[in-house]
Amino acid sequence: MSNQEPTQNSLKPGKWINSTCKMCLHSCSTRVHVTDDGVINKIEGNPTNPSNAGKLCPKGNAGILRHYDPQRFKQPMRRTNPEKGPGIDPKWVPISWEEAFDITVREIKKSLDEDPRKILPSLEDFQKMHIWFWPLAIGNHNFYQSGGTMCGGAYHPLNGYIHSAFGAVNDAKYCNFWLSNGAGDGFSSHLHAAAQSHWVAKARIERGMKVVAVEPRMSIAAAKAEEWVPIRPATDRHFAMSMSHVLVYEKLCDYEFLRKDTNAPYLVGPDQFFVRDENRQIYVWDRKDNRAKLWNDPTLKSENMALEGEYVVNGVKCRPAFQVYKDILKDASPEAMEQLTTIPAATVRRIAREFAKEARIGETITLPDGRTVPFRPAAYNYYRGAQGHKSGMMTNHAFQLTNMLIGNIDHPGGRCGVTITDGCVDNNHCLPGECGQMLGAPHQLGHMPPFSWPPNEYHLAGFFPVGVNGPHLNMLSYLEPEKYGSTFKPDVLVNCHSNPVWSIQGPRDKWLQFLREMRFIVCVDVIPTEMTDFADVVLPSSDYLETYNSVMIEPPYTEGICFRQPITPPLYDTKSEEEIFFEISERLGVLDQYNEVINLILGFNQKPHLMLEPGKKYSDRDIAERVGLLWNDKPIEWYMEHGHSSTERRLDKWYRPWDGMRLLFYIEDLPFQREQLRRQFEEAKVPFRHEWPFDDYQPLPTNVIDPIHKEAKEYNLYAITFKDIQLNFGESLSIPWIKDITYRDPVHTGLLLNRATAKKLGLTDGDIVLVESPYGRLYGRLATTEAMHHETLGVSNALSRTKSENRSALMAGGHYNDLLPYDMRNTDGATGQPETSCRVKLTKLDDWPDFLKGGSTVYDYIDSIKNAKGKGGLQ
Amino acid sequence: MSKLGMVFDLKACIGCNACVVACKQENSVPDGIFFTRTLSYEYGEYPNVKRVYIPTICNHCEDAPCEKVCPSGATYTRADGIVMVDRDKCIGCSSCAVACPYDMRTMLDKSALEKGLFGTGELTPFEKQGYGRYTPGTSLKCDFCSQRVDAGLKPACVATCPTNARVFGDLDDPNSEPSVLIRKRGGRQPLPEKNTKPKVYYVE
Repeated sequence: MSNQEPTQNSLKPGKWINSTCKMCLHSCSTRVHVTDDGVINKIEGNPTNPSNAGKLCPKGNAGILRHYDPQRFKQPMRRTNPEKGPGIDPKWVPISWEEAFDITVREIKKSLDEDPRKILPSLEDFQKMHIWFWPLAIGNHNFYQSGGTMCGGAYHPLNGYIHSAFGAVNDAKYCNFWLSNGAGDGFSSHLHAAAQSHWVAKARIERGMKVVAVEPRMSIAAAKAEEWVPIRPATDRHFAMSMSHVLVYEKLCDYEFLRKDTNAPYLVGPDQFFVRDENRQIYVWDRKDNRAKLWNDPTLKSENMALEGEYVVNGVKCRPAFQVYKDILKDASPEAMEQLTTIPAATVRRIAREFAKEARIGETITLPDGRTVPFRPAAYNYYRGAQGHKSGMMTNHAFQLTNMLIGNIDHPGGRCGVTITDGCVDNNHCLPGECGQMLGAPHQLGHMPPFSWPPNEYHLAGFFPVGVNGPHLNMLSYLEPEKYGSTFKPDVLVNCHSNPVWSIQGPRDKWLQFLREMRFIVCVDVIPTEMTDFADVVLPSSDYLETYNSVMIEPPYTEGICFRQPITPPLYDTKSEEEIFFEISERLGVLDQYNEVINLILGFNQKPHLMLEPGKKYSDRDIAERVGLLWNDKPIEWYMEHGHSSTERRLDKWYRPWDGMRLLFYIEDLPFQREQLRRQFEEAKVPFRHEWPFDDYQPLPTNVIDPIHKEAKEYNLYAITFKDIQLNFGESLSIPWIKDITYRDPVHTGLLLNRATAKKLGLTDGDIVLVESPYGRLYGRLATTEAMHHETLGVSNALSRTKSENRSALMAGGHYNDLLPYDMRNTDGATGQPETSCRVKLTKLDDWPDFLKGGSTVYDYIDSIKNAKGKGGLQ
Repeated sequence: MSKLGMVFDLKACIGCNACVVACKQENSVPDGIFFTRTLSYEYGEYPNVKRVYIPTICNHCEDAPCEKVCPSGATYTRADGIVMVDRDKCIGCSSCAVACPYDMRTMLDKSALEKGLFGTGELTPFEKQGYGRYTPGTSLKCDFCSQRVDAGLKPACVATCPTNARVFGDLDDPNSEPSVLIRKRGGRQPLPEKNTKPKVYYVE
């Protein structure tokens, strides 16, 4: 080197500040280097956090370019071009914050005074739940944000029933056999990606943990797996049930666990409800005394509880819950399911046997806290790809039952519940329910609004008592207001860090029209997105390197608060989300209500001295400080020094946190909720009550076939979409470094089609094609591969951008979400989870359609990389 | 004396490219240039198909062809084995780029520094503080983050790698992490037939 001055960024004169990443919704700990000149020039993982252990994913490594993105909103702005559309210049004019708040509050208030339901919130800051739940302060339960059903719409409620937790994870610290079904955990995405892939790699390398991946596309998990098993999309439940069939019919289950720790022995009557005595106590069958006893009969020993058989109790024919599932599974043999999944029966039988063998049923382990607990180092992991289907609740239940049958729930090496936050360090998340069972807690993000007819929520949330918010259902009220009983129409949209235009499934042209009809749209954001193209006012927020926050958000193996603090003062005239929403609340006259909402949502009411007071506005720093104090009573100065209070999950909250309660093998609450909802529909004479999918509420999964498999035959392929680690949980494709790596990875350079299938269809690599589903279309260029299921088209999320004001995010030939349905036929009645795969047909085109010929699409960019000389080309 | 080198664990690598981005932020690498890459290859026939992610980097060869052909002495090897480029001596002749059998040399085009990462012609503060180390027309490559190494740190790509697929250390020390890995899992050098003696190994 020619001079002595350091030229590498982390060694330049400056200081390191401990903080937290927010390039996805999770919260890996960081240390951020800022030079003496005040320039942020390096972000690294903080090695003191036992979660990410000093590691960061590519997005976490790319935060600097979000911070210095020249397209960042630099001051509040007002639209002057009344015409709204993708990529149409809003002709922004800068305005003062005072004017911006004036306009925003005036417009919101018009609707608020008239009917609060006319406000449509779309608030997606997952690290700031207190922003997300702001609508409660104005008595509003509408929901239009982009997460929800494209994430874990059915996954979360079912985790709530099984673990009383938001998330779930295979325990990489002990697991030796990792079955990955349509999931990225540990390889490409989901829970704290850098952290999870770190611990999973350790298990693979140091312990030789075996991985089997079952999925239509060979993802990163499958690439690293010992075995990739291609599966037809939307048949994951049928695969899981065929696995369970083998476990049950070859007697490979953990019967001791099922008898002692679950409600599998509880007797079920023909009406799907447990058989009870007059005090509502549930019966089981004592196979030693050969008679029915109440679950809490002191003479009843768990080892004597019958799991199988058919009995008559008080004149009612009944079976143990286990037997009920066994009978259902009779029709789910690997041979029968092969017709649907395309997985050879012998493969399923082999995997199921190995799964059971590796579970080491009967073995125990003594934990450092002195407890001796079952040791079950095999687990079935699944997420978005496998769970995002029409029968979502049943599908997730089928996955978890496969785990439960081998007794691995919340046991070392098995499938463990992951809380989104514990609030205080001593909080346990499991509560007792009735008759010795754990209380099922499907409402992991708060209760859904009560049933109402006509509906109080534009997205019909009151019809999903145990579900999550399905933003796609806004389309039903919009297109068929008479049918769905809409008595109001939202005309003001309040948006914060959410991009529903990009993220919600259904027809883009209709969604865009929906937005054009809004009287007023305000967007709080950092950079332009497809959504801000429609804003009337932009309130620019400071970014994650300029603000405070404290959050625990489903870290897989740790607990505690990750703390964010400003590395530099805001670069521009921006404000924190807290400043913005407290100000709006005060001006709307709902500040006291908002403070109450925050006390509830963030749990400040658990420590009364932390509660926000009426009439006061608070800063991001104030809120962050309180969240830290709530967790471990440490002052903000302590957090500023350490950056986090993350420690390994406390063993008593991690393994068997429900000890002494029975887990819900059989979810009786689902038929209960179904019947209650049916009664409400009947009493209100809801006109579509006879077509509502009540059958999706089942106490045990069935092998019913989802409607995607019954589409017209001309749609001769399936289609799926996917993300990898650099695209995980949020916008990143406007960042040059992320574009650099994404569009050099072959899986993100074309629509993926199995090579032999392409040949059969007369198609070849590089063909321009029109992709049509029964619901929508997109254009793209084929990339043939051996690594796709032979009936399935793979559409990378990186090839699903549409035109927008953000010039860095390159448009593709349409959006995968356009191909998806938004109707109830394809929506899980129990959770609101819509189908996220679809059926398509391909037509070869001679050339791109005119609107894609301008030379500025993502495919043009990919070509420019391929044709580049020297470094950077695809090799 | 030492012989610094790197081992890539192909079993661990998940192709996430965190290494590539970490390198770019540590070294303010100009647009379109890579000091390290992670390649993705498929092989086999459906359904018996595999994909391998292959990290690549300057191999810091013991018999570095780039050093041999360098007419100005700009390319040299440090005592610890890191192959360096002195930009003040580099005359931009591209001989090194031609000689490197691994295609790990890049000639810096002026336009990359002018256009900037966002292609707007205006540099961000991050780029402004970083581009001083680069001279247009000279040859660039990975230097194992030599200044970090001098400060007792690991190269940026190694430090961030979520799966520990990049292992760095002294290959002369039989007990170093990379030496142990090479021994235990049979490390292989890239293109050994070129006789360049790479100080980079791959284990499967």
